[in-house]
Amino acid sequence: MTTTKREKSLIVIQLSGGNDYLNTVIPYSEGKYYDYRSTVNIPQNKVIPIDDHYGFNPSMGPVKSLWDEGKVAIINGIGYQNPNRSHFRSMDIWHTAEPDSIGKEGWLGRAIRDIDPQGENVLTGINFGRGLPRALACPGVSVASVGDLDTYGLFPDVQDEELRMFTLEAFSKMYGGAAGRDPVMELLGQTGQDALQGADILRTAPAMYSSSVEYAPDSLAQNVKSISQVFHANVGARVLYTQHGPFDTHAGELISHAKLWDEVAGSVGCLMDDLKEHGTENDASILIFSEFGRRIQDNGSGSDHGSGGVAFMIGGAVNGGTYGEYPSLAEAEQIEGDLRSNNDFRSVYTGILEDWLGLDAAPIVNGQFEKFDLFKS
Amino acid sequence: MISNDTALMAHLLRRAGFGANRDELESYLEIGYDGAVEALLNPSDPGNMPDDLIRRYHVDQSELRDLPGSSAYWMYRMISTSCPMEEKIALFWHGLFATGYSKLNQARSQLNQVEMFRRSGLGSFEDLLVELSKDPAMIVWLDNNENHGASINENYGRELLELFSMGIGNYSEDDIKGCARAFTGWTLGNAEYMSVRAAKDSIWPYGRIAWHFDYREEDHDDGEKTFLGETGRFNGEDIIAIIVKQEATARFVATRLFQFFAADEITEAGEKTIEAMMATYFSSGYQIRDMLRTLFHSDYFKSEEARFARVKGPVEMVVGAIRMAGNYQDPYLGIEGVANTMFYMGQGLLRPPTVEGWHEGAEWIDSGALVERVNFVAKELSNVSSPGVRSIIERLEAGADQGVLQPSELADGCLDLLGPIQVSEETRSVLVEYASRHGDLDLNGHQPGDQAEQRVGDILRLVAATREYQLA
Amino acid sequence: MSTQTKSSEIVLDYVKTIGIVNNGYNGRGFANPYDIAVGGDGRIFVLNRCDPLRASAIRVGICNLEDEYLGEFGRGFGAGDEQFAWPVAMVLDSRYRLHITDEHNHRVTTYDTSGDASGNASAKYLSHWGKPGTGDGELNGPAGIAVDSSDNLFVVDQHNSRVQKFTSDGKFIANWGSFGGGDGQFNLPWGAAVDKDDNVYIADWRNNRIQKFTNDGEFLAAFGNSGEGEGQFQRPTSVAVDPEGFIYVADWGNERVQVLGPDGSFQMILRGEATVSKWAEAYFDSNPEEKAERDISNLKPELPAHLNTPYHISSQTEPYFWGPVSVSLDREGRLYVAETNRHRFQVYQKR
Repeated sequence: MTTTKREKSLIVIQLSGGNDYLNTVIPYSEGKYYDYRSTVNIPQNKVIPIDDHYGFNPSMGPVKSLWDEGKVAIINGIGYQNPNRSHFRSMDIWHTAEPDSIGKEGWLGRAIRDIDPQGENVLTGINFGRGLPRALACPGVSVASVGDLDTYGLFPDVQDEELRMFTLEAFSKMYGGAAGRDPVMELLGQTGQDALQGADILRTAPAMYSSSVEYAPDSLAQNVKSISQVFHANVGARVLYTQHGPFDTHAGELISHAKLWDEVAGSVGCLMDDLKEHGTENDASILIFSEFGRRIQDNGSGSDHGSGGVAFMIGGAVNGGTYGEYPSLAEAEQIEGDLRSNNDFRSVYTGILEDWLGLDAAPIVNGQFEKFDLFKS
Repeated sequence: MISNDTALMAHLLRRAGFGANRDELESYLEIGYDGAVEALLNPSDPGNMPDDLIRRYHVDQSELRDLPGSSAYWMYRMISTSCPMEEKIALFWHGLFATGYSKLNQARSQLNQVEMFRRSGLGSFEDLLVELSKDPAMIVWLDNNENHGASINENYGRELLELFSMGIGNYSEDDIKGCARAFTGWTLGNAEYMSVRAAKDSIWPYGRIAWHFDYREEDHDDGEKTFLGETGRFNGEDIIAIIVKQEATARFVATRLFQFFAADEITEAGEKTIEAMMATYFSSGYQIRDMLRTLFHSDYFKSEEARFARVKGPVEMVVGAIRMAGNYQDPYLGIEGVANTMFYMGQGLLRPPTVEGWHEGAEWIDSGALVERVNFVAKELSNVSSPGVRSIIERLEAGADQGVLQPSELADGCLDLLGPIQVSEETRSVLVEYASRHGDLDLNGHQPGDQAEQRVGDILRLVAATREYQLA
Repeated sequence: MSTQTKSSEIVLDYVKTIGIVNNGYNGRGFANPYDIAVGGDGRIFVLNRCDPLRASAIRVGICNLEDEYLGEFGRGFGAGDEQFAWPVAMVLDSRYRLHITDEHNHRVTTYDTSGDASGNASAKYLSHWGKPGTGDGELNGPAGIAVDSSDNLFVVDQHNSRVQKFTSDGKFIANWGSFGGGDGQFNLPWGAAVDKDDNVYIADWRNNRIQKFTNDGEFLAAFGNSGEGEGQFQRPTSVAVDPEGFIYVADWGNERVQVLGPDGSFQMILRGEATVSKWAEAYFDSNPEEKAERDISNLKPELPAHLNTPYHISSQTEPYFWGPVSVSLDREGRLYVAETNRHRFQVYQKR
């Protein structure tokens, strides 16, 4: 049987709001954890142990299964110097790989530009959800933002299919006008045609897809399903991005956080099953990250914005295991009541860019960073 | 036939406003072009949706704790104002003095800054810079609360010169230092507490606490400074007085106003207009209103060259379409979703990506944004139950021969009433061909939502989807 | 700070503040509280209108004066059972039934809060009634709601400019009112209250006054006019009347609470004097650096001229009422003022 060697794709699941590291990978054998988290903790007997010291949140069953198969890399204590505890700012830092100044270009936007410098394939990078995250933004780089794959494209509100087709035809004629005009009109024409073409291609993806995997009805699972449909439609999508939240659990954390991870773990489990079924398990890797972790001490109902967090790299081609160090809870090691990160997130980016996507990382992440050996060669 | 007066007035209203429906256009035509310029440049009572109504129903717009409601709050004003120039000038300064939510997490204070732009945005540039320097949102945004006599922070001092007035090449590093020193002590009340809250995005325990200016005399470096060749124990106002005297400042203000209100690209004729605006800048005592008057009365502005010479920004696209359709005239559950569309198109109110603001013109266009832009206006303007669209249908019927429109008349009529919008022959022929699908349109006895009305909606949808509609 | 006139016949002492903002989906704290109902058993029900970003968090929270968060109920945003779109007000009747209005879904939802003897931390959904329209018993934007001694409900039908009287099951009895500024006319009315004589009081929001009617809708009196002076109102949203007939008004637009005598005479103004609540203390315990800066700050700063309006002052002066949208009373002479923009309520005790 011939297998076409396909290009590697990166799937990103952004956890928006600041995922609570301490209740995701839990230091259940450490007394201090229960001291600081007197209310907002996971009891020892509920934790899903990874080893004698650390365990997963009880909602992360599917992640534990993948861990046992060696497909999960846990990057402990990830972050950056001078942590910023504001959602927007910290997420911008992760998106632009620029902790010290305000960056304008997203790291993945730049990556897409490097993958496809002539912009020949408008579907090289796709965002699933409305509103393009800064991570994918880069001047001159077209990235589709797909709110709903089934209705994606122009004039989605036109119910009458025939009318819609007729209108799209007219649009195509209007935007295909003569060359050599006003440069703005030229740009509009080209862009309109790109958008039409992208939409045409994307719209075929669900029809071409078949799978026995049943995704849950929540919004993340549906976005992840769309990711799978597009990925398996072989349209040349190299970066597929989505987000889930809100992880900003200042109150009622135990219930909210459990539900969110139920959804994340469920979606990832389904996606990995889907990839396996299609024989593409080694062709996609999933990055899961959040803009910061949360405070060590809880506030009686939840936890507040912190700094150092955890990220995951999941996939058939990932070297499972733990990377970085689990931050110490000792007071001397804390940064103003927060976990101290011990590796820069750009190290993970570097590994992904170089070892997975085959790109030159330094210009994208604005510097040289020592990478982890996250991928099987 | 489209009269040049009408086309010119529509052009003025696209620039000094968000476009105009035919009723608005006719009332401006009654007072004539000169009258319209004066009315626009001297906003009186905006008559917008009353604040108490907004806040009664939209609890998030009463508190302004988060961004979506805050954007929607400003959008309501833009949609319902009868003084569109007031909102346009606020939007202009908002893009120029780009202050971003991401660092501040203080929408109330940002909207106070926007209110300051309404109040002072058409007056003296000197006064505006002083108010800006005292604006607490700006102070936090550019770290002037960290600018102390004992340890200078140059961020505001630098950007004031680089991005808000003269521009690089017109001052030295020493000038930046002098400028920064002059603004020491210009901070906000409870600066340290507010700063910690902003950095952590703290809403605890009782929601946000808004900001106000505070001058800390003890923190001010009162020593002698040298700035652009002048020496003295300058405070902030003195620096600004020197800045506004510079030709580079005049050029900067004139150029930016030109690019926002006249054209994205500057041609030779445009350059001359900018120079005329610079002359007005000095002769009027730095009055923005006078500079805009010069612009709006210039030959360039009235010429063909200036027509449709700008790509509409997302705010103009969205607000323009809503005003034309006459929608959202009352508090509407879900309005923040509508406001979010501007963000999806690349221009989120109150969240310019950096201090450089948005990159306008052709840079608004990419395939993701274009899909959002077309989809929004197409949907808005094809809805035959919207008051503005019904008004268009009535006018089409009134102007038709015995209530019947030939396809070309239907297409031309829609192009006229949505603008008038100028399109290329190719675009027009596609519109006519599309309109011909069902032959002549008989609007006699049309009922709300019937086939005849839907046909008009379909043409309006296609007109809104043209390339030309993307331009102002 | 409270200001009492020399001839004031009433004294209200500040007791405490309960609350903290909750921008999540469950747990202690409030999200834009719009009304409060106090049960005789010490339970305090707080209606969270919630901002649209977190509309699925719309719910009623239950706490008590000891700052215990007992529970919550409601199924968030929507038109299904136990769901709300724009919830406005609530009232408890004599049988522990809680009636909640929704001005977008045009209906009243009823819960049974009687629970079991152990002090139930929840409530049982019973039903909802009401449909949009202008006919008798139909609703267009039900806002305030009050109950009389026979458990009849008075619903303020805001866009129909009238008050409607129903049985506690929603069966139409009577209505009165029309749009305007005259006696018995209304302009976007909001809150309602009933006194011990079963007279009905309406916060006539856009007419900036309180109107008093008999139980059958006969006009008795109107109190107040537009302004920020004593005895004047700016968009009053809520009214409550104690057994002695003192009238408490949430003077929302002026960011204050006013108390009138039974004859409508001005008695006092409360501006709010919130302190750190128990839940807020827990927050500061785990965020000491923020507390440290707060402790050396001036929480009642002086403001420049252009910010010198009640709304702006309250937005920057944390102890003051900001968005005081509801006033409620319990049987021990306590006043509860819910502040929608501060996610808390302040409690006062009548001496």
